Formats: sequence, C-alpha cells, structure tokens
Amino acid sequence: MKAQSESIKQANEKASEQTKKKHFRLNKTTLFFLFPSLVLYTVFLIYPSLNSIYMSFTNWDGISPTMTFIGLDNYITMFQSERFYNALKNTFILTIVLTILENVVALAMALMVDKIFFAKNFFRSVFYIPQLLSGIVAGFIWMIMYNYNFGIINGILDSLNLANWKQDWLGNPDLAIYALVFTIVWQRAGFFMVIYLAALQGIPKELTEASQIDGATPLQRFMKVTFPLLAGAVTVNMTLSMINNMKIFDQIAVMTNGGPGFATETLTYIIYKVAFAELQQGYGTALSIILFVFILLFSLAQVYILRKREVQM
Amino acid sequence: MKQKKAIQKLNRSLIFVSSILLALLFAYPIFVAFISAFKTNGEIMRSPLSLPETWTLDNFRFLFAETRFLEAFMNSTILTIVSVVMMVILIPMAAYGIVRDKSKFSKWVYIYFLAGMMVPFQAYMIPLFKQLKDMYLFGNLAGPILIYVSGSVGFGVLLYTSFLKGVPYELEEAAAIDGASTWTTYWKIIFPLLSPTTASFVVLNGISVWNDFLMPMMVLPSDKAKTINVEIFQFVDQFASRWDVVFAGTVCAIVPILIIFLMLQKYFVKGVTSGSIK
Repeated sequence: MKAQSESIKQANEKASEQTKKKHFRLNKTTLFFLFPSLVLYTVFLIYPSLNSIYMSFTNWDGISPTMTFIGLDNYITMFQSERFYNALKNTFILTIVLTILENVVALAMALMVDKIFFAKNFFRSVFYIPQLLSGIVAGFIWMIMYNYNFGIINGILDSLNLANWKQDWLGNPDLAIYALVFTIVWQRAGFFMVIYLAALQGIPKELTEASQIDGATPLQRFMKVTFPLLAGAVTVNMTLSMINNMKIFDQIAVMTNGGPGFATETLTYIIYKVAFAELQQGYGTALSIILFVFILLFSLAQVYILRKREVQM
Repeated sequence: MKQKKAIQKLNRSLIFVSSILLALLFAYPIFVAFISAFKTNGEIMRSPLSLPETWTLDNFRFLFAETRFLEAFMNSTILTIVSVVMMVILIPMAAYGIVRDKSKFSKWVYIYFLAGMMVPFQAYMIPLFKQLKDMYLFGNLAGPILIYVSGSVGFGVLLYTSFLKGVPYELEEAAAIDGASTWTTYWKIIFPLLSPTTASFVVLNGISVWNDFLMPMMVLPSDKAKTINVEIFQFVDQFASRWDVVFAGTVCAIVPILIIFLMLQKYFVKGVTSGSIK
C-alpha cells in the first residue's frame, strides 16, 4: 500500500517535472509567438503615446525640424484659454447626455425585442443596422435630414401643419449639440441593445415567474428583479458608451465642423483643429494628454461605482 | 383569468406596434439615403420625402467616371482585407503565447497589451504622424495597416485569451507525443478551434477599418484618392450642391457592410457580446 502511494507520488513528480520542462521549452517559442504583436504594438501605439507626453512640453508646430522644450507653458495656456473650457463643457454635455440616453433607449429596445413574439431577429437587426454605418455616412444622412430648406424633419413638420416648429437644427447654436445627440443615439443604441438583450436572455425565467406569482406588478418586477440582474451589462455598457462618447469626432466633422461658432467643438475636435489646421502640435498633444487623463479617470470611477451595485447570481 | 389574458394580449400588441414605429424611425434615414441616390439633385431638394420619379443611375455613373471614388473604394477594400488578415495571423498567436506560457514575463505582456485599450487614438496621433514620416510610412497604405493592427492588439488579445483559457492542454500534449512542433500544433489544432472567435473578431474589426475616417484622412497623400469615408467627407465640401452624388457615395459605402452583416449576422451578435460580457 505504502509502496504504491510512493510510486504514485514519484510518478506525479515526474509528470510535473515534465510539464515544467514542456513549459520551459515553450518559453522560447512563446517569445516567437508574442514577438510580432509586441513589436508592432510598442512601435505604433506605446512609443507615440509616450512621445505625446514629451511633445506636450514643447512648442513644435508640426513642420519645423526642431522642437523647443518650453516646460508647462502649453498646459498654462490651456488652463487660461476660454476655448478649452468651452470644449470641455461641450465634451461633458455630449458625454453625459449621450451615455444616459443611449443606455435608456438601448435598454427599452432590448426589453421590447425580448417581449416580441415573432420576427425577433428582424427587429434586432433593424435596430442594429445604423451601428454599421460610419460616423461620416450617418452624419451626412442626418445633415441632409436636418437641412432647413429641404430636410425631411422640417418637411414632416410642414406636412403636419407645425411650420412654426421648423428650425435650422444645425445652424442654431443652442440646438446643434442636441441634433448631434439625436443622430448619435440613433446610430449607437442598437449596439448596446444587443448586449442588454443577451444579458436579458441570461436571466432565468423562474426568477421573474416567481415574482409574478408573488404578486409583483410589472414595474416592480423590472425594478426589483430584472434590473438588478442586468447590473453587469449596465456597467459594461455605461463604460463603453462613455469612453466612445468622449471620443466622438466623425459626426461633428461632417455635420457642424465644431460650429456654429464653437457650439459643438469638443476636446477631440479642438485637438484636431489646433494640431492640423492651426499647426500648434505641441499644444495639441497637451490637449490630447488631458483627454486621455479624463477618459482614464472617468472610466475607472465609473467601473468602481457601478461594480458596487452589481449582484452576483 | 379571461381579463388577464386580454390585458396580456393588449400589452403584446402595444409592444409590437411600438416596435414597428421604432423600427421605422431606425430604418427610415437609411431608406432615404438609398432613394436619394437614385434621384436627381433637383428632386432631392424639391420633394425629399417621395420616391424618385424616374430611377436614374446617373449619380453612380458620375461618381465612378468623374471622381476618384473607384480608387478610394479600392483603397478601402485593400486596407480592410490586408489589415484584418494580418490581425488574424498575428493576434491569436500572441494570445496563445500568453496563455500557454506560465512565466511572469507573459503575464506582464498581457497587462501591457490590455493597457492599450485605454489609450484613445487622439492621444497618440500627433507624434504618430511625425513618426510615420520619419519611417517613410507616410503617404502609403502600409502605414494605416500597421496602425490598425497595432490598435487592435489590446481587444484581440483579451478576446482570444478568454477563449484559449478554456481549451484543454491535452490536445496539444497528444499532438506533441505524435511529434508535432509547437508551431504545427498551433496552426493545425489550436487555430482551427478558434474559428468562431475569429469570425466575430474579423467582422468587428473589418467594419471598424472600413468605417474609419480620421487616420486615413491625415496619413494618406492628398493628391490621390484616400478612402471611401474620406472621399464622402470631401464631397460634402467639394460638391456642396450635388447631394445626389454624395448619396450615391454613401450607398456604395453602406452596401458592402450590409451584405456582410446579413450573411454573418450571428457573428456580429457574438462578437459584440463576447467582447463585453465575460
């Protein structure tokens, strides 16, 4: 008996040694497997990112061969510039309004599609399709729809005898940003709906049925059973949509070009304009560092806050 | 009980009707883009809501004969295909290395790769353009391809490692006993197992490359055609009064993705959900 267990032990040791060896042997090959991605990623993502930090302390214009180190000057200029605060304000409005709306609309659509008794896939596809368009294409289509003279929105208002509701949607500084919001929600909500739908389908039917038997109203059922169980998807979706919304660029480029005036100029847009139209690339990188810091802080904070209220099944 | 059933029925039809209305709102702008591409410019301005009086292909003819659109279309196609093929060759390999190697080094590499997901393109684009010029990659398609591949490493590694962790080691052991090298084992046994993940990875990245705008606009030379989205963007300025032509361009940008979406729908759904729910 003892001898047997001894021999098993020996065999085990031998086996683990062998696996160790195997892993050791693999080690060299591993390097080879990792190598191409590691090099590309380092050269084309990490290196320029670090370079960005350095560049933000220079006054480089994007053309001249030399760049002079100017310390914190770019950051000081930035924090004294009204245009920067305006861009920051617009970025926050867009991010907050969009993140909330996208998720509310997506969740509502997911609940609807989940309840539909036929052509479920059809509806899911229709809601998802705008997400397939590029920001430029979606932006262009809506730019024409918002047009004052021949846009469809004013056309519909005309035909409903609501001519005095007609607006120059993208030309009005107070409305332009919300016109953008509407377009982006239309475009992005389907993506988050797919995630909510998958999460909804993962909730065991017994749970909702049990609460139904206990006499919960549909609203109670949603608030007390379904929604808490969706918390994981909410965390993911809120974080994803927030990061995306802080980076909105294409739709602004085609629909408003940051205007009218500076009414829709966001951080991403000011970076682009400053760096490539006004040739202040040092200043542009300083702005981009701020964008990165905001994305990092906001997503960490959000994940931390939302994780707290997730329930484990 | 009967009453309850009636309420349920009413609820169901309410949900159905509102879904149809919402679906109309979602589909209508795309429908408008399609019909406008077959209208004359005058008609778009005169009666934006109605169907074309006569369906004309003139816009497409103008687009391909008089502008650089065909060239741009080719560029977008090459960029998308080459980038995605490179991603599929390199990124699962890296993920495999990370999962099968137990050393500290590969754990650090994993974290290092994931960190890249947090970095927005805008945060490194300015130095990147200078770097591309220094490396003679500015103004040709190689630059954007390498940038796309590098940019997808983070998400790709995350996606593939989570799948690979569930693949039993016995398979590879069996292959090793039969005398296969790690390289052969990977390509003959592991890579085919990854196909469902790869399909999702391909459709998601393919679409994002096809739809990208800012980077190709900045990196590709301005005396030649760039990509579809850049051309459409420039048309808006250039042909400020030829909306019919721009609509034809948008239709050409939408149709390929729409076809791929309708063919490979389930991989889209899988990709979206597997990337976000673990």
